[in-house]
Amino acid sequence: MAIIVNLDVMMAKRKISAGELAERIGITPANLSILKNQKAKAIRFSTLEQICKVLDCQPGDILEYAEEAEK
Amino acid sequence: MIHNQASTTGVHRSILLSQGLLALFTAAVVFLDIRCQWFWGWISRSGILGTVNGTDKYLFLGCLFGCSIPAYVLLYSMHILLKRVQQGSVFTPENVRLLGIVSLCCFLAALLCLASSWRFPVLLVVTVAAGFVGLIVRIVKNVFQQALRMKDELDFTV
Repeated sequence: MAIIVNLDVMMAKRKISAGELAERIGITPANLSILKNQKAKAIRFSTLEQICKVLDCQPGDILEYAEEAEK
Repeated sequence: MIHNQASTTGVHRSILLSQGLLALFTAAVVFLDIRCQWFWGWISRSGILGTVNGTDKYLFLGCLFGCSIPAYVLLYSMHILLKRVQQGSVFTPENVRLLGIVSLCCFLAALLCLASSWRFPVLLVVTVAAGFVGLIVRIVKNVFQQALRMKDELDFTV
């Protein structure tokens, strides 16, 4: 998957744990793990909105397109 | 909430009905195998098979027992499939495999009946019926395969 989810960096900046983030976003820890481990195939806008709200960031801060990864 | 409960009860009842019908078909196959002599006597006297001679009995019983093997495999596969569906495992690779087995069994039975139809032309009807059911189940298997792919996509949508 060419889209990389960089949650760890933002989580470290905001000093928030995975469990707390999952609870505040409204998803299960398992789903958050899917997201963090690059196993997600799609993300809902509602989830992205919640992540940006909780982490006080922009979608571009946590999503990255890497052409090298695609190749 | 009430609609969901009614829907769940309806699904449960539907599965129970399927299991009942499955038991009925299994009993029918077992009955025909055990009482094959009686069945041959009845069908040969009825005239459905046309004019029959002594050796025809063995060909007919051979076809009957030959079709029983895929029949038992098919019935067992459907029993396992229904049990899994009842437990909530619907779109899984194992269920796709079971549907493939059911379809194959139908085609095998159709082939056996086709092979016997040179002597008993009426078996062509059974051939077409079995082949048609095999085709329907095969298409259902294809649908399940697509559904499995879509479910996989959904499971990894956060």
